[in-house]
Amino acid sequence: MSTIQIFDPAMCCSTGVCGVDVDQQLVDFSADLDWARQNGAQIERFNLAQQPMAFAENTVVKAFLERSGAEALPLILVDGEVALAGRYPNRNELARWAAINAVEERASSGCCSGSKCC
Amino acid sequence: MKFLDQPPRFLFFTGKGGVGKTSIACAAAIHLADAGRKVLLVSTDPASNVGQVFGVNIGNTITAIESVPDLSALEIDPQAAVQAYRDRIVGPVRGLLPETVVKGIEEQLSGACTTEIAAFDEFTALLTDSALTAGYAHILFDTAPTGHTIRLLQLPGAWSGFLAAGKGDASCLGPLAGLEKQREQYKAAVDALADAERTRLILVARAQQATLREVARTHEELAAIGLSQQHMVINGILPQIETESDPLAAAIHEREQAALQNIPAVLQTLPRDRVMLKPYNMVGLAALRQLFDDTAATVEVAVDSPLELDEPNLSELVDEIAEDQHGLIMLMGKGGVGKTTLAAAIAVELARRGLPVHLTTSDPAAHLSETLNGTLDNLTVSRIDPQLETQRYRQHVLETKGAKLDRQGRALLEEDLRSPCTEEIAVFQAFSAVIRESGSKFVVMDTAPTGHTLLLLDATGAYHREISRQMDTTGLHDSTPLMRLQDPKRTKVLIVTLAETTPVLEAANLQADLKRAGIAAWAWVINASVAASRARSPLLRRRAANELREIHTVASRHAQRYAVAPLLQQEPIGVERLQALAGDRRMPAEP
Repeated sequence: MSTIQIFDPAMCCSTGVCGVDVDQQLVDFSADLDWARQNGAQIERFNLAQQPMAFAENTVVKAFLERSGAEALPLILVDGEVALAGRYPNRNELARWAAINAVEERASSGCCSGSKCC
Repeated sequence: MKFLDQPPRFLFFTGKGGVGKTSIACAAAIHLADAGRKVLLVSTDPASNVGQVFGVNIGNTITAIESVPDLSALEIDPQAAVQAYRDRIVGPVRGLLPETVVKGIEEQLSGACTTEIAAFDEFTALLTDSALTAGYAHILFDTAPTGHTIRLLQLPGAWSGFLAAGKGDASCLGPLAGLEKQREQYKAAVDALADAERTRLILVARAQQATLREVARTHEELAAIGLSQQHMVINGILPQIETESDPLAAAIHEREQAALQNIPAVLQTLPRDRVMLKPYNMVGLAALRQLFDDTAATVEVAVDSPLELDEPNLSELVDEIAEDQHGLIMLMGKGGVGKTTLAAAIAVELARRGLPVHLTTSDPAAHLSETLNGTLDNLTVSRIDPQLETQRYRQHVLETKGAKLDRQGRALLEEDLRSPCTEEIAVFQAFSAVIRESGSKFVVMDTAPTGHTLLLLDATGAYHREISRQMDTTGLHDSTPLMRLQDPKRTKVLIVTLAETTPVLEAANLQADLKRAGIAAWAWVINASVAASRARSPLLRRRAANELREIHTVASRHAQRYAVAPLLQQEPIGVERLQALAGDRRMPAEP
């Protein structure tokens, strides 16, 4: 089973409503994350504002921050390798990484559905 | 005093800055200790003078007050608590992660929510049974947590897997994650708060319409989450005797009595106490012992000639503002200091000088903006309803972003949307269309976002810019909204306060917050000053004399330029009275 690690930007609220524009991806992703966990995926999530040590201790993440800065987050690692950066994965991607079979097809939160990305 | 009748173990005093929570809490603590009960007084007032009152250095440990047997006190500094929390989180990665990243983290941990939660964390040990407080019959707090904080702590969604595992979804509860405490302890603290047998909430107010409206909101919000045992104390009422031969005192008295008669319906059933304005400062044991005693207070103030205050007035500030011909003027300050009135006065002054002005307000009562509309050439008035805008924003977020969430997730999103930041953002967004006009005329606003919000907004703005640069290679980029606000030629932020200790301190905090976002407050306006009026009543004269110290503090320590606006006999509605407020010496003075 692969381990998926999500490195979030610094957020005050999970929903991002306190302070910044609400990010649709973020809210959708929370739902997809729950779904994947319920299907047995191993997912860890780290918030830059609350667990910065997790960022500093991981050489891949640290190098990413030095190169691209915090505004390039989120960063997603699968088994320690960069799988995705700059946006959250959709349900299909999570399923592929976690090797979840029977993906109920559903309109997933694609990258370009939000207002900010792409 | 009814609120001291058969008091439970915990007493919380709540109310906005400057109403006298700390004085009343001190006097109550002395009263109970004098009756032979062992009492602990907990102060979180950043302007805490509890130590000064008792002549003891108190600080962050429980300290026995020798002059009052059975009384101990403790001072909690919420800012220090937040700083300690920030250091704990950020300290270990300093030097490991890029400096800009570290700065971004620190900003996220600088919001109002963080301060609140950190302060609540300090309370938990005092509210739950512990050896620390075992000996005390009563514990008095000169503050109370807000409904938002308590509701968050009650939500299962806010806790799911997050605190237990130390990882997962963040929320406004974030700061608790860095702490070692267990959920059970927070639950016990919240339970103690909501237990009428153990906890009494005392709403402290002044006899002012706006203040009482705010108190009514606090009452309903806290009652809804179980803090049902509530009392109300109206502090600082001007005695009728003062109204003789002083029209200003008579007008204040009349206004106060009217406010008390029209007290919001939800507050009418609460047990209520009245505390009259005293002719002395609430410092020292003797003064505090007399606070609740209206017979002892005999007014003995030497009646000398009225103060001749020679301070800059609003009109002089407007002269300087007018030089730029256009720009954005934002007034900032805590609720109730008179931002809307001053915004209107500034707009009227600018329009009278023949300059085009758009006054846009969040005035809840709307009567001010309505009476102004169409009365002056060059002046346009518009108004947004903060409650409506916030409601619309919440609705929009819930319908679009919250659509796919489960019940717990939705509950958490709803609570996050009730945070103070949400309203600030919703209102600022609603204003943003008007702000664009400030390139060609004056736009005067009676509100401004905090530096914290601006920095967070700009953090996303930076991202937007990056994207547009990649897409647009013409090289012609307008500056960011934050850059516009940082440029004093284009934007002037005026900080509004009252000439009283706590409001001045709160205003200084607002200024420091703006400074973090690279915005220097252009000027301060000290509003509703008795010293700037011609008061004859001994009590008002006394107050005027006290104001001088605060005005001096603002002038010498906080403001790069300032103005003082007088307390008026009548509400400054309409063009003429607003001009009196600006204090233009070319205009006839108020009769």
